[in-house]
Amino acid sequence: MKPSKASQRYRSIQRNASQCYLYQESLLFSNLDDSFNADETGDSNDPEQIFQNIQFQKDLMANIRCRPWPMGQKLRALRRAKEIVLKFEGRLTRTRGYQAAGAELWRKFARLACNFMVIFIPWEMRIKKIESHFGSGVASYFIFLRWLFGINIVLTIMMGAFIVIPELIAGQPFGSTASKTIPKEHVASAQDLDTVWSLGGYLQYSVLFYGYYGRERRIGRAGYRLPLAYFLAGMAVFAYSFIILLKKMAKNSRLSLASASNENYTFCWRVFCAWDYLIGNPEAAESKTAAIVNSIREAILEEQEKKKSKNLVVTICLRIIANILVLLSLAGSIYLIYFVVDRSQKLEQSKKELTLWEKNEVSVVVSLVTMLAPSAFDLIASLEMYHPRTTLRFQLARVLVLYLGNLYSLIIALLDKVNSMSIVEAATKNNTNHWIDSTTFFATRPAPEEQKWSTPRPGIGLRKNSTWALEEAGAPTFIMPPTEANRTTLHTPSPQDQCWETYVGQEMLKLSIIDMLFTVASILLIDFFRGLFVRYLSDYWCWDLETTFPEYGEFKIAENVLHLVYNQGMIWMGAFFSPCLPAFNVLKLIGLMYLRSWAVLTCNVPHQQVFRASRSNNFYLSMLLFMLFLCMLPTIFAIVRYKPSLNCGPFSGQEKIYDIVSETIEDDFPAWFGTAVGYISSPVVILPAVLLLFMLIYYLQSIARSLKLSNHQLKMQIQNARSEDKKKVAQMVEARIQTQDESIKRLPKDSDIVSHLSSAHSATPQNNGNVVNFDSPSSKSGRIETVTQSVPQSPRAGHGSLSPPLPGISKSRQEHETHRYPCGSSASTGDIHSNRPCTPVMLQKHMEDIHSEPLFRKVFQRSNPPLHRPGTSALEAYGHRPRTPKYYVINERDSHKKSHPAFWPERHFKVDVSGDIVEMYPRNVRQYVPRAPHQARSPQLSEEEEEMLRRDLIKQSLHPHSLTDLHWAPYFYIGERSESQSLAPEDQGRRYCKSWNDGFEGQLDRPVYLHKKPRSWHVQYPQHPLKPRVKPKFRPSLTESDSMSAASSSDQQNSSTDQYLQVIHSQPKVPRSVGQRGRRKAKSGQELTTDLNNLICSNV
Amino acid sequence: MGNKQTVFTREQLEAYQDCTFFTRKEIMRLFYRYQDLAPQLVPLDYTSYPDVKVPYELIGSMPELKDNPFRQRIAQVFSEDGDGHMTLDNFLDMFSVMSEMAPRDLKAYYAFKIYDFNNDDSICAWDLEQTVTRLTRGELSAEEVSLVCEKVLDEADGDHDGRLSLEDFQNMILRAPDFLSTFHIRI
Repeated sequence: MKPSKASQRYRSIQRNASQCYLYQESLLFSNLDDSFNADETGDSNDPEQIFQNIQFQKDLMANIRCRPWPMGQKLRALRRAKEIVLKFEGRLTRTRGYQAAGAELWRKFARLACNFMVIFIPWEMRIKKIESHFGSGVASYFIFLRWLFGINIVLTIMMGAFIVIPELIAGQPFGSTASKTIPKEHVASAQDLDTVWSLGGYLQYSVLFYGYYGRERRIGRAGYRLPLAYFLAGMAVFAYSFIILLKKMAKNSRLSLASASNENYTFCWRVFCAWDYLIGNPEAAESKTAAIVNSIREAILEEQEKKKSKNLVVTICLRIIANILVLLSLAGSIYLIYFVVDRSQKLEQSKKELTLWEKNEVSVVVSLVTMLAPSAFDLIASLEMYHPRTTLRFQLARVLVLYLGNLYSLIIALLDKVNSMSIVEAATKNNTNHWIDSTTFFATRPAPEEQKWSTPRPGIGLRKNSTWALEEAGAPTFIMPPTEANRTTLHTPSPQDQCWETYVGQEMLKLSIIDMLFTVASILLIDFFRGLFVRYLSDYWCWDLETTFPEYGEFKIAENVLHLVYNQGMIWMGAFFSPCLPAFNVLKLIGLMYLRSWAVLTCNVPHQQVFRASRSNNFYLSMLLFMLFLCMLPTIFAIVRYKPSLNCGPFSGQEKIYDIVSETIEDDFPAWFGTAVGYISSPVVILPAVLLLFMLIYYLQSIARSLKLSNHQLKMQIQNARSEDKKKVAQMVEARIQTQDESIKRLPKDSDIVSHLSSAHSATPQNNGNVVNFDSPSSKSGRIETVTQSVPQSPRAGHGSLSPPLPGISKSRQEHETHRYPCGSSASTGDIHSNRPCTPVMLQKHMEDIHSEPLFRKVFQRSNPPLHRPGTSALEAYGHRPRTPKYYVINERDSHKKSHPAFWPERHFKVDVSGDIVEMYPRNVRQYVPRAPHQARSPQLSEEEEEMLRRDLIKQSLHPHSLTDLHWAPYFYIGERSESQSLAPEDQGRRYCKSWNDGFEGQLDRPVYLHKKPRSWHVQYPQHPLKPRVKPKFRPSLTESDSMSAASSSDQQNSSTDQYLQVIHSQPKVPRSVGQRGRRKAKSGQELTTDLNNLICSNV
Repeated sequence: MGNKQTVFTREQLEAYQDCTFFTRKEIMRLFYRYQDLAPQLVPLDYTSYPDVKVPYELIGSMPELKDNPFRQRIAQVFSEDGDGHMTLDNFLDMFSVMSEMAPRDLKAYYAFKIYDFNNDDSICAWDLEQTVTRLTRGELSAEEVSLVCEKVLDEADGDHDGRLSLEDFQNMILRAPDFLSTFHIRI
């Protein structure tokens, strides 16, 4: 019971923890958890406990998907959890049971709803396809588009449900009132194409525009307050957009976890976050690779030289020029738009019939500017020679400014026109001819309305006059009015033409339509036809079209996104005056989605510039927010500043549009409410409220700042604590090892060598790294202990300072390496050719070490005559100091320990090792040449050896040196290698040399190839089952283990030879030196010579 | 609908939905993707939990993985015995972790495993070398690669032991702005 209580506590803690924390723990305790689960099935009678247990299980069920377990484990845990819940739930009180059942029901329902909702996510597959082809950057554009589409749908619903549909259903029908009829003069041309095109005629007098909506306060039988609804819906569009945008931004920033602009991880991110796992297209993969290489090179360069600017003056001059050019083009575009609007105004006033061009020139010019200017900026930006990312930022900022400038100059020009229009209106009022019209209109109204309006009516004339005076004072184009008024009375006889809201709405819609057409045209021209041209004419052209000049169009994410933002800005700007604009935009976005995705998939290539997707997400949104704010301003300004048109729209006759609200409050709410609102809206309340808000903002901001600071400090603390901890642990380990070492350390000779080795070793950090990591999965400390125990002579002292957790293998290898690193130490592995011409002086030294112990060899050799196998002359294997065999043992154990399923890296390592051996071998040989006489005549050689030697001497007059020495190194490594592979000792065939040869030759020929190759992982399987048998066999005695190790290296290559064979086959060209070496090796055994030759032949 | 019910039982589907970040529709789609890889190997009836593995060669040739330099590692990490051959469970596991719904920590954990080439629970210089060479398809010179590895270790190795532990890695990767968006595979 006790452990279960502990587990309960642990569980309750866990339950309180957040999901994230839960997960973290589960990483550490995943096994523990399992065991808990196991003993939880045991009964307990405490209801509280049961309840907690069930709660825990439920938590587990809810979060199981967040656990890093394999599916089988997850399923099992889930099943068990469900069983436990089912089993114990009955024992709980009834209410809890009901609660649980309800929760379960709710969960099921939520899942069903979730499953159902997924069906309605549009274009999922399409976006996924694009994503897989172009990566997340391009896809982010489409996701953004889809998101905008969603927003526009909501806006459409808002506008449609509250304004358009009520008006259609309950409003007065078309033609019933003056503002809903086409004036007689225009009826004839109302269906002409150019009228329709410029949104005149029937379109102008439809629900599309503000002017159509009736002014009755209540419509229909239910008394729907359309004007109020119009105003509120118009405002709600902005409110909704703001809220949804801010919400999305907040979510995004929460997701990005406050990256806090830590740029300390440049390299890490460039390595670990570089690859876009979405990419599933060779082309995209290629360009992504290129981009990664570039970015890494860039980072390296930046690191190496912290930006040495060459020719500063020229760049600065160029940049200044570029900026001037940009400013000029911005000013030019703004002026152009203003000019065009102005011109069209004048034309409209002077001419009766306008040509198609004259009607549309405003929107065409605006669209042309929006389309062309970004490319111009692009060209200018190439002058500046900034870093690509900076260029991109500049480009974005400029394009944004351009778009905003366009929209603003357009709206200002329009408002200017509105100004003059209201003047005209006032003037026309003087010619009272239309007054009859409006009076009849008033007469038709129902009685109560009439009454309501009877009061303001007398004032109308007065008000008109006063506005007139106002305009006189304020308007710059004031000189015109009298004449203009006279003229316009001729051209625009009916007052309902003069509806500035409709006019603005028309202009916005027109702009939107033209923009759409230009987008389509540009996609077709710039992407599609260019793609066709490049694709099919490339073969017949004088230069390579695909790679040099026109190329294929790139998908410019940033500019396209900006274009979307701009488009949305237009919608926001015009939505109030043209309630159907969002609906139109929905259609436009759908069309754009299909067209763009088609164009991207057919004729675009992935962008070379890597535009960060997620960072850009909030970037897009912030641009959108900016745009929303700036687009709201003109609309609000127009609403506040201008008087609504007299004869059209829901607000006609009011002084200001927003008067509708106060009017409603006064008329339709009880009196106290009106006074309350009056108080609230008085400065006495507003001012303190604003102050309070400011205070609140300030307070929250300061809190945020302090939180950020404390966050930073906590982070530092954590880091410190962790590094301290690790240091402590490292020290402890080191201390333990050292104490053990000191008690064990014996042979000074060995330690000498080892220290020597370690120096050699440290000189080749890469290699070292390989070795170290080779088998670290097994518990390190454990291994270290084994090493020290089984190898009393182990030269730990030399290593204590190096790195405590070095596994045994690395040590044993280091020793071997003494003989091969001396001259190669400067160069890393694989560089055979550079290793060859090494200084003989250094080598001599090492050789001395080696040769100082011939006696050992002799002794061992004699002690183990029966162990000699015909093929594997163990003699060479004993050629080293007596401690080496022990290392073999350790190695064996190590390799045994690392029973990890994945073996590739180890394989790789082995290959490296063998490669090293091969490199070193010839060097050793050469070094031995002068000493050969000693050894050759020495009595330690077995008869076999001598015989062989003699034969060899005859055969190869080139290398008349000692066989023992020759073979010493190779055998050594072979033994080790094979052991680390932990192959079965059972089959000790003769192919020892062969296998060795194979590895050796392959490596020699092409180290790089092998380096890349080692992943043929099928070879690995047979090893595992063999290991256990290997271990006991090696234990009994040092010598035997040695011989066995030598022997074991012989044939176990059965499995691994395949690989080596491959290598050799792929490299049939074996250099001559290799052949010689091969022959030299052949000396190792008499039978072997022939055997080996066969094998080599078969191999090559 | 009837077709779907024969592949999995309702309980199985529920359990899979509990264990992954997928909806029923997505699970079915994944199953058909899996089945398409080896139509003759994978049965259309999974109600009796058949023990079927699709070999790595087929997994790695999926268009989603085909061009990924780490596809082998991904397959190895998610397969049960590290050989890259995958059962349906492994397959679902893989795409669940790589789905955009998966939380950061889970992704970071598996990313760590993927980059830990020699499965020694830490990313050492050799692993880094492997990562960089695969990432750049060997276009960087050896010096450049070693420099990059050195720099990476320099930046992220919190305890200066010459290798990145899981904590080091998470610490680094969780702050990366685009890790979430790039470390996912859509299916």
